[in-house]
Amino acid sequence: MTSQTLQKVDHSALKANQLFIISLNIIAFILGLPVIAAFVALMMGIGSALKTPGFGFIYKSILKPQGWMKPDVLDDNPEPHRFAQFVGFLFMTGGSVALFAGSAVLGWTLVWIVVALAALNAFGGFCVGCAMYYWFARLNVPGFGKQPPVGTFPGMKPKAGANV
Amino acid sequence: MSADTMFIVLRFGLAVAIIAVGLFAYWLFNQRLLGRAQNQALALVGVLPNKPMIVYFTTPDCAPCKTIQRPALSKLMSLTGDSVQVVEIDATQRPDLAKRWGVMSVPTTFLLDARGEARYVNNGVTRVEKLMEQLQTFSDFEI
Repeated sequence: MTSQTLQKVDHSALKANQLFIISLNIIAFILGLPVIAAFVALMMGIGSALKTPGFGFIYKSILKPQGWMKPDVLDDNPEPHRFAQFVGFLFMTGGSVALFAGSAVLGWTLVWIVVALAALNAFGGFCVGCAMYYWFARLNVPGFGKQPPVGTFPGMKPKAGANV
Repeated sequence: MSADTMFIVLRFGLAVAIIAVGLFAYWLFNQRLLGRAQNQALALVGVLPNKPMIVYFTTPDCAPCKTIQRPALSKLMSLTGDSVQVVEIDATQRPDLAKRWGVMSVPTTFLLDARGEARYVNNGVTRVEKLMEQLQTFSDFEI
């Protein structure tokens, strides 16, 4: 792991995004409404394009100002989190397309994979998409240049202060 | 019951079942952490024997540790007096301990009974009420 410039990443914004993804997808499944899953996919796609968590605006405009969620700003690489969201977007898009095409089992399986991975990140602090990103970086895949913060297992939430 | 209601109830049940499987996996993970924590207390410097203990992993810049976890532990200490000892470990200073205990994120609190047996692990912020509830399940805990 080489020295590199890290940025301030608010993990509470990421967590809020994950919680919205989890909640909306479960509601979509229970009500059998693929349109909600498609909406989640759309928000994740917009988030990926704007390089921000898809539902991060709710955190910024409501959750943080109201004090319902406190900022958890850590020195981290934002790129792996963007990549993770993009992978989630691909899964959600695939799931939504499958659902609208009538492949309910495939569609909901993809949606539940996103739910499981978002839950693992939100509650367990492990970001599978980030781990994938760092794995690609180890393999020198072009576009994947960042290394995990020093002392942090690839994909795990950095222990604050470990890298400063 | 209409077909639509039946559909939603079935889906709800299925969602609950899937979430239950996830929670079971999480429980297994915590059991693994507790297994790793067994007998680790003896390796900590300055620990008093035969006294329930909370091992609290933190880092200097962990915001929730400062704003919630540490005040919760301070309050717990004021409530329990010297019935419980709290051992605070900075994971950045002691990465070896964090690794040995299997700590993946901060704050993480382990609760050990007076025999040094790890009974609970809390990943993330844990409020004083929950810590107190957990301590009160220890047969050897007295305020």
